[in-house]
Amino acid sequence: MMIPAARSESGSASACVSCHEDIWGEVKDSIHAKQGMSCHHCHGGDPSQKDSALAKAPGTGYIGIPDKKQLTQTCGTCHSDVAFMNPYGTRTDQLARYHTSAHGKALFEKDDKRVASCSDCHGYHDVLQVSDPASPVYPFNVPKTCATCHANEKLMSQYGLPADIFEKYKNSAHGTALLEKKDTGAAHCASCHGSHGAIPPGVSEIHAACGKCHINEQSNFLGSVHAGLAPDKKFLQCAACHGFHDIQPASPELFSQSCIRCHTDESPAFLVGKTIQGQVETAEQTFHTQDQNIQSARSEGIFTQDEEAMLSEMKTHLIEMTTKQHMLKEGKIAPLLETIESQAKEINNTLQAKRNSIRWRFLALIPLWIFIVIMVIAFILKYHRMDRNE
Amino acid sequence: MNLKKTIGSWITDRFDVEKIREPINYQLKKPLPPHTGWFHTLGSLSLFLFISQVLTGILLLIYYRPTIREAFESVQFIMTKPYLGWLYRQVHAWGGQLMIIIVFLHMLRTFITGSFKKPREITWISGVILFLTTLGFGFTGYLLPWNQLAYWATTVGTEIPAAIPWVGDWLKTFLRGGPNVGGETLSRFFVIHVIILPWAVFFLIAMHLFLVRFQGIATLDPVGEEKDIGKKGIPFFPHHLLKEGVVFFILLGVLVTLAIVFPFELGEKADPMQTPHAIKPEWYFLPMYQVLKFAEKMWGLLIISLAPLFLFLWPFLDKSRPRNPLKRPLSMTFFVLVLLSLLIFGLMGYFSEKNVKIFNTDYHIDIYGMPHKILPNATTEPTHEK
Repeated sequence: MMIPAARSESGSASACVSCHEDIWGEVKDSIHAKQGMSCHHCHGGDPSQKDSALAKAPGTGYIGIPDKKQLTQTCGTCHSDVAFMNPYGTRTDQLARYHTSAHGKALFEKDDKRVASCSDCHGYHDVLQVSDPASPVYPFNVPKTCATCHANEKLMSQYGLPADIFEKYKNSAHGTALLEKKDTGAAHCASCHGSHGAIPPGVSEIHAACGKCHINEQSNFLGSVHAGLAPDKKFLQCAACHGFHDIQPASPELFSQSCIRCHTDESPAFLVGKTIQGQVETAEQTFHTQDQNIQSARSEGIFTQDEEAMLSEMKTHLIEMTTKQHMLKEGKIAPLLETIESQAKEINNTLQAKRNSIRWRFLALIPLWIFIVIMVIAFILKYHRMDRNE
Repeated sequence: MNLKKTIGSWITDRFDVEKIREPINYQLKKPLPPHTGWFHTLGSLSLFLFISQVLTGILLLIYYRPTIREAFESVQFIMTKPYLGWLYRQVHAWGGQLMIIIVFLHMLRTFITGSFKKPREITWISGVILFLTTLGFGFTGYLLPWNQLAYWATTVGTEIPAAIPWVGDWLKTFLRGGPNVGGETLSRFFVIHVIILPWAVFFLIAMHLFLVRFQGIATLDPVGEEKDIGKKGIPFFPHHLLKEGVVFFILLGVLVTLAIVFPFELGEKADPMQTPHAIKPEWYFLPMYQVLKFAEKMWGLLIISLAPLFLFLWPFLDKSRPRNPLKRPLSMTFFVLVLLSLLIFGLMGYFSEKNVKIFNTDYHIDIYGMPHKILPNATTEPTHEK
């Protein structure tokens, strides 16, 4: 029988270690060992018995190597115990969620032992805290951990699932941010599919999955004509234009590439898309031009802090525009474009005024030096005239 | 005409003008030695620059805020918003640089013509103090814009006195107003720069000018054999003043041209967490800074403090009678050697920690000013030992 609490005996005090010293070597640095857990908490048995047979004798609760079902229950014994887990600040619904996941359902309902359970993701004896960068479930490591199974062509073919997801993800906007730029905030497998309750989001929930991070885009999308199409399960919401695992940084070009998949190139809907594309492209180009303009003014020694403040405002409007484009209403974008263009004009004008002022400074040197030369000649002539008179 | 007469009689009714007119006329007409030339205008140019610094400094004070939160921003404001703010800030910055050059050249002229000799030793000493005060202006004023270069140059500069035995740490804390360069340093540098030094210089200039006018300009005659100038002399007014007018206008043009064509950049705001690469002081401290690299801190300090000491004592060390530079070979050789060493150490300091191209070959100049050839595939700077 398992013992849920009283995790006081450490591995060094457990008789199991006298025979399984090599395994204790794996366990001793784990989060469990550090919290005073020992072999018998998972495997059962009597750790006070020095004799191997007595330690594993009936009545000691010895289970040996737990199978996948036993394993999830064993982990869940502590990890579902609210009172016990409370001091660690970890959730206690992992087992409940696991039961709702594709993995959990396959294991418990279909007795499919090939699916992932706790130890497939977290490890066995050497379980580390999730916040430990060496942990297989630390954000940087999640994609590779999932790929252990999901990149296994042979295994995935048995479920009719693709095995190239990791390869696609690796080169996506999210994958690059997480794996190359080391941005722990970037989306990985669990961000969209969930971790313990891992399940592919249904067609109608795609916007909810993306909206966890892209809040404004989601709220604008829900105001678009496309939002109402979701219940039909024909329209893949965000994924319809942006794709799934291989999502690339979005650009206005997406309107030309994606709208055509559903709309003809002469349809009003397609033309709305093209108009919005033009608006966003113009705004981006205007912003980029003024950014260059300011940089070049700065390199000329011109103070540009006022223009930089205006550029920041332009950036804010541009960001607002990139989220509002999801409403697919050109009327909502036009005022923003107008503001961006008027700010660009103002930046241009103030920089031009500053450049003109510098040019005038240089020109002012001409009359100054003419005056100086006249005065110098006059003084020298006067000096020589006085010299001659004496 | 009537107005002129009315004002004239109003004044003569109240003051004994005749009594004042005589000494004024005497000073104006007092003949200067025949060798008095263009180089004798350097003193007046120094005075002109001091006045220019005071005037532009007052204009800067209208907007400048001596706190670490506002100093940088207020200078940025001066350079962008007030009418001609950019001009008086640049004229002030360039004026400071030119003042050091002109005062130094004035001292060189005095040394070469032997004018420091008896009976003008006190005039020379007051001149040396004025030169050191001018450097003090440069050191304290450099920090006031509170930019990166200023912050770190002051950090290095105020670290130097810490090497003095017994009082070093106290002196460093006294200069900084705390363990590090910060708000306290800025406010005390500000007070020194705008109150203490200007008044000190004002009284020193008054004393210096009084001595110059009272004792007259030195001739090139040997000490004790000075002949009466008589009719060979040049009247101060209007002859010499016309010359001073010529150089004044040229200096004014140079000052404004430098301010427009080569404006000083403000750079980045001081950031105590971000040390820039190769921190260096202003060019006029470079020779001293370079010497300090070669010697232990205390010995270095001792060596560099010999320079002002020698300047103060020189009239008492060189008691030879000739003033003509051609008749003072030993003195002039020493002078040339000092100038050369200032130039060499200054250049070494300037080029140190830089990469330069000499005859199509790239060299890295190390911290001691020694060149090291950069190998074509080298990824790091060549290592070197002291």
